Amino acid sequence: MTTGARNALLVGAVLLLAALPLVGDTYALRLGTFACMYAVMAVSWNVIGGMAGYPSFATAAFFGLGAYAGGVLLSKGGGLAGALLLSGTLAFAGAMLLGVVLLRLRGHYFAVASLAVAEVLRELANTATDLTGGGMGLNIPLAATSGGPQAEASFYFLLMWALLLLTLGVVLALERSRLGFGLQCIRQNESAADMIGVNATLYKSLAFAISGVFVAMAGTVYAAWVHYIEPPDVFDILFSVKPIVMALLGGLGSTAGALLGAFAFLAIEETVWRNSLEIHTGLLGLLIVVLLLFLPNGIVSLARRLRGSGASGG
Amino acid sequence: MTGLASPPMPRPLRRLARLALAAAACATALLPAVAAAQETIRFGAPLPMTGPLAPEALKQQQGYDLWAEQVNKAGGINVGGRRMKVEIVYIDYQSNTPRAVQAAERLITQEKVHFLFSPFGSGAAKAASTVSEKHGVPTIAPTASSAQVYDQGYKNLFGTFTPNETLTEPLANIVAQKAPGVKRVAILARNDLFPLAIAQEMEKSAKARGMNVVMFERYAINTMDHSAVMAKIKSVSPHWIFATGYINDLVLIKKQMADQRIEAPVVTMIAGPAYQEFIDAAGKGAENISSAAWWHPAARYKGTDVFGTSENYNKLFQARYKTEPDYAQASASVAGVLFQMAIEKAGTLDRAKVRETLAGMNVMTFYGPVTFGPTGQITSLEPPVFQIQNGRNVVVHPPSIRQGEFRLGVK
Amino acid sequence: MFLLQILANGIVLGCLYACIAAGFSLVWGVLNVINLMHGSFIVLGSYLAWAAYNGLGISPWITLLVAAPLFYGAGWLMQRGVLNRVIAAPVLVTLTLTFGLDLMLNNAMLLAFKADYRKLILDPPLGTLALGSVVVPVDRLVAMLFALVLTAALYLILRKSRVGRAIIAVRLDRDAATLMGVHVKSIYAAAFGFGAAMAGCAGVLLALIFPISPLSSTAYLGKAFVVCVLGGLGSVPGAVLGGLVLGILESFGAMAFGPEHAVTLSFGLLILFLIFRPQGLIGRRGFD
Repeated sequence: MTTGARNALLVGAVLLLAALPLVGDTYALRLGTFACMYAVMAVSWNVIGGMAGYPSFATAAFFGLGAYAGGVLLSKGGGLAGALLLSGTLAFAGAMLLGVVLLRLRGHYFAVASLAVAEVLRELANTATDLTGGGMGLNIPLAATSGGPQAEASFYFLLMWALLLLTLGVVLALERSRLGFGLQCIRQNESAADMIGVNATLYKSLAFAISGVFVAMAGTVYAAWVHYIEPPDVFDILFSVKPIVMALLGGLGSTAGALLGAFAFLAIEETVWRNSLEIHTGLLGLLIVVLLLFLPNGIVSLARRLRGSGASGG
Repeated sequence: MTGLASPPMPRPLRRLARLALAAAACATALLPAVAAAQETIRFGAPLPMTGPLAPEALKQQQGYDLWAEQVNKAGGINVGGRRMKVEIVYIDYQSNTPRAVQAAERLITQEKVHFLFSPFGSGAAKAASTVSEKHGVPTIAPTASSAQVYDQGYKNLFGTFTPNETLTEPLANIVAQKAPGVKRVAILARNDLFPLAIAQEMEKSAKARGMNVVMFERYAINTMDHSAVMAKIKSVSPHWIFATGYINDLVLIKKQMADQRIEAPVVTMIAGPAYQEFIDAAGKGAENISSAAWWHPAARYKGTDVFGTSENYNKLFQARYKTEPDYAQASASVAGVLFQMAIEKAGTLDRAKVRETLAGMNVMTFYGPVTFGPTGQITSLEPPVFQIQNGRNVVVHPPSIRQGEFRLGVK
Repeated sequence: MFLLQILANGIVLGCLYACIAAGFSLVWGVLNVINLMHGSFIVLGSYLAWAAYNGLGISPWITLLVAAPLFYGAGWLMQRGVLNRVIAAPVLVTLTLTFGLDLMLNNAMLLAFKADYRKLILDPPLGTLALGSVVVPVDRLVAMLFALVLTAALYLILRKSRVGRAIIAVRLDRDAATLMGVHVKSIYAAAFGFGAAMAGCAGVLLALIFPISPLSSTAYLGKAFVVCVLGGLGSVPGAVLGGLVLGILESFGAMAFGPEHAVTLSFGLLILFLIFRPQGLIGRRGFD
């Protein structure tokens, strides 16, 4: 199947998801909202991690930044649209600026630095008590909807879903663009890419910025949705690690893979959580280990192997 | 394998198959749990059974289980003439607040519990209370004391801890009375909802009595070393050191105080000294450390609930768990007790009616007198102040249950 | 004199940090693997010391001798059995793999030991030492000395023993080492084993000082990261220098800015170093 057809099919599946408010209860909608949120994170991460080849652990930093920037504005009386705009802009600008400095690093160093950014931001949120409530958390007033739990759950689900569509639109367009091609070159051999005229610094920074903007907006939606946030919740390192696992699960490098991986990961996580009270953390770890040892190229490669054995015959 | 190979499945179909598989996986995750038999009343209890708060979850569970056991032994809760047994549904939220909210939602919509206990602590209780409010499920929070938890105007949230100042005011009173020479106060707070909130209250209480707060520092969660703060404390020579945090923070702080040879007439810590684990871990350094909490096993209330008197509660707890109860377990048990009393008084499981009954409640329990204020937080308790003397917790206030005199001097 | 106390605190703390980080630095430098289980290894060492002391009455100094070979063996097996499969894989894979392994290890410890906080209290306690107006707790002092001894031992092993020199060779040039007859897979396993042994021993020492719980593992790991970046990867003297710098800076920083900023300070430092001096203070890409 061509990449184009594959992408179209997946986008179609996502569009179908819009029907969820009609068939699901509030818990199903909660899961659906998380699914869309995870998908936004995984697809965004893939831009810097999969396409450009820079292993970023900054997802939590962007998410937390969006949650707090948007959250603070909302708590001071701003509207949701304004909050989304603010967090998106802050994330984009911040990532471009930070990117210039951080993206000079490679491999492990970049990974560690991006992780450290999340830690620093978390502590800054913790200590700026007057602005963010510090360790005591931030109250976010309920948004306009007041039609009961089902209506509110549907509203937030559709909002996160719309964000996912926006993210997919931008990222899929990016894949086919010059920027996308440039990132591929950078991933394979950055010095060579430089030599053939790819402006590596600019392209990398743009990739980093794009990987952050939608995640930050997801953070804002999240904050509005749960009404109360604390720094350790939104700057949680797991928000940096899980998107990576999702992208690996689906197949590194492709947007479709990240999307598939996000949904599959959520399903697995939920099943494991429901059914094993004491060992679900360990099971999650086991899943990651098995995945990395035996399926390093994700579910996509499993399919390729099945396809291969089918074709070769007896 | 010989012979003709069967033609491989066409690619679009394979892709579809994979998508279907993922969808099926998602669907099974969404399937509601099989509904329980309708003869039991189901109470949801989201707890942090794994992660940093796991020791607290254990205490909560002990409290809930003891209550459920007692109620079921007596035949169950009387719902308008019909006896129904109690079932507690536990979910682990991994000490992660977003998961706590998710657990609350799952308990309400999937596990179909009738009523809910809050997750542990002020932060998670506050976050999860939104879910309860949206679904109209009466919820009792056994471990949320900060007034900020109850400030969202919700009607379905009730709490069995009185606000933080009810702990700091009696403490400040006692110190002012018994140790009038105490003028300089140093405060060290963990940067977390409850520990920071109560430290701020302490600052107010101390200042209100003319004391001089010479230091107010916050330490980050997961701080491994307090030696710099210790040096600072030493340099301001306080008469009263007030430290807040969770048990492992306080054990470390006390040890480092001893390491730096810091001594003071009064050292107060919240919220570790009430627990036996703190006394064990701090060893001799725990002597004369004071604290306050919302209940103490020395209490002698005569309640009209399934436990009856405080002594009876202690006895039953000791028999089951081989150790004395502290305020955490007692608060969890009383949360169950209050639901029971409300259901029996209302004569129905109807959530709105039970909520109304809880709001207007005015009863005496083994835990103390219970009346809820307009925000849902309890207003009727007189929290005891106690001090570790000779390796045991001794109540020094209120006078009605006093077991000993307040002593000065902590090494 | 207040300043001298702060300095003393910083130095003692710094040596503890060095001990925490030395093994981590070795593994990162030689195998190019960031071992996210390092913090959990330390906690496991602490539990071992606690169990030995409370259950069998064995003094921690003796547990130290047992811990070293025990953890070496476990580390060796872990590397040979699991990590070797992904040794050539990109950074992402190894990081995420050790993250998953750490989740499993942490869950296992939680199940085995419950989450209660334990404290190893020596009876009789070691007390404090006063040097002029500076007070130093003896347990930290002894731990600091042991930490230095251990790091020195590691340094000597790396320099003098066959295995050690083979590790250096692999670090400098893997292919040349192979050509010289070094069995690289075994060397990787040995290096990982040494890293685990250092972690286990650090854990035994730290059991005297900090409360023990599976939750401390992330705190230890965080410190190890910062020390490695400050000091330079794969370098034992680098770990010592990085540790001292971090310890002293944290001490004075907490005094100047307040203890709530301690974490911000250390990670901020990390970022600055990564940007401006990624090879760390000692600055050589080779091992030492």
